Amino acid sequence: MKRYDCLKLLAPMVDAHMLTVTSLSSNTAMWSALRTEGANFLGCNMGLCLPFALGLTAAFPKRKVIALDSDGSLMVDSSSLITVADVNPPNLVAIVFDNSSYARMGSTFTARRTDLEKIAQGAGIKNTGTVRTHEEFSSSAKQALETAGPSFLVVKVEPDRERVKGDPHRTYGRAMREWFMDAVRHHPDYSGAGKKSG
Amino acid sequence: MDQHSVQVIIETLKEEGIDLAVTLPEEPTYALTEAMRQDPFFTAVTVAGEGNGIAYCAGAALGGRRCVFVTGIAGLLVASWALSQMGMVYGAPILILASYRGDFGDHSGIPGSQLLMFKQVAEPLLSALQVPYRVVNQKATLKRMIQESSFACQDYSHPIVLLLTGEVLW
Repeated sequence: MKRYDCLKLLAPMVDAHMLTVTSLSSNTAMWSALRTEGANFLGCNMGLCLPFALGLTAAFPKRKVIALDSDGSLMVDSSSLITVADVNPPNLVAIVFDNSSYARMGSTFTARRTDLEKIAQGAGIKNTGTVRTHEEFSSSAKQALETAGPSFLVVKVEPDRERVKGDPHRTYGRAMREWFMDAVRHHPDYSGAGKKSG
Repeated sequence: MDQHSVQVIIETLKEEGIDLAVTLPEEPTYALTEAMRQDPFFTAVTVAGEGNGIAYCAGAALGGRRCVFVTGIAGLLVASWALSQMGMVYGAPILILASYRGDFGDHSGIPGSQLLMFKQVAEPLLSALQVPYRVVNQKATLKRMIQESSFACQDYSHPIVLLLTGEVLW
């Protein structure tokens, strides 16, 4: 199963007011190509995607926040799963694309003995799953978006064959942040400084 | 930290509209974080690691929530990766109150070699991470320091640290 195919299945399920966060992985370039509007915080560096998304759930409690994380990133700070379980936000959907590899630099621990779903369960997250087919992915993602969470889904995908590059003006660093902040300030639920209408 | 300092901090955070309090409990600030946990004004969150605490605060802050992260020097060291990203790269406005472990006056009983290490790394670490900070050691200035740092962190759009020490903490 390919990551991009799963993201293509996910994109139509994500409504205009949901917020998404991606790890610094193929998730970023692929998701930025598929979701060009809305609040997307892209390219969170290692270990920071899931807890950043968790923080957004505190700011937007009525909207689903979707973390598109990756195995290498999550394993840098898997203690964030414990924080997720303790905070227990009903609006968090964590989708971890597990290709069992560090880009093209060899296998991660999930290629051997590590099971991310079991780690999440052990942390105390109740709604968990691991999917290996497109049908399982569609069904599980839909359920996670439609029911109270937090939900944690491991998606087993092939290693990406080629490096995908996103538009640097929209996908990384301060430029991405400005896109994100503009979208957030237009969000109907935003209550911070600089709120914009529409 | 005595009740007077706790009271001043809590009152000032409320005046600043800071209602999300995030911490990994540590001894010198425990009275403060426990008081915030007992106060219904605050949403009090305990994190399992300081790195995910900073990332959590960054998501909340960029999403429009006013938050405070309460930690110590060890916590800042653990969170330095997250601070480099959420501060230098993304400019998340996070107010951080940190006990200045290892500063003169720390009689908490941990080994002197640890205290010295904290003292040696604390301010150089914040300088290296380009995080603006102030040392707060007098009760008379505590309220104003919180007010000014709260304003500055929003205005700069950047994390700011208040290192609590002296009569404010010990």
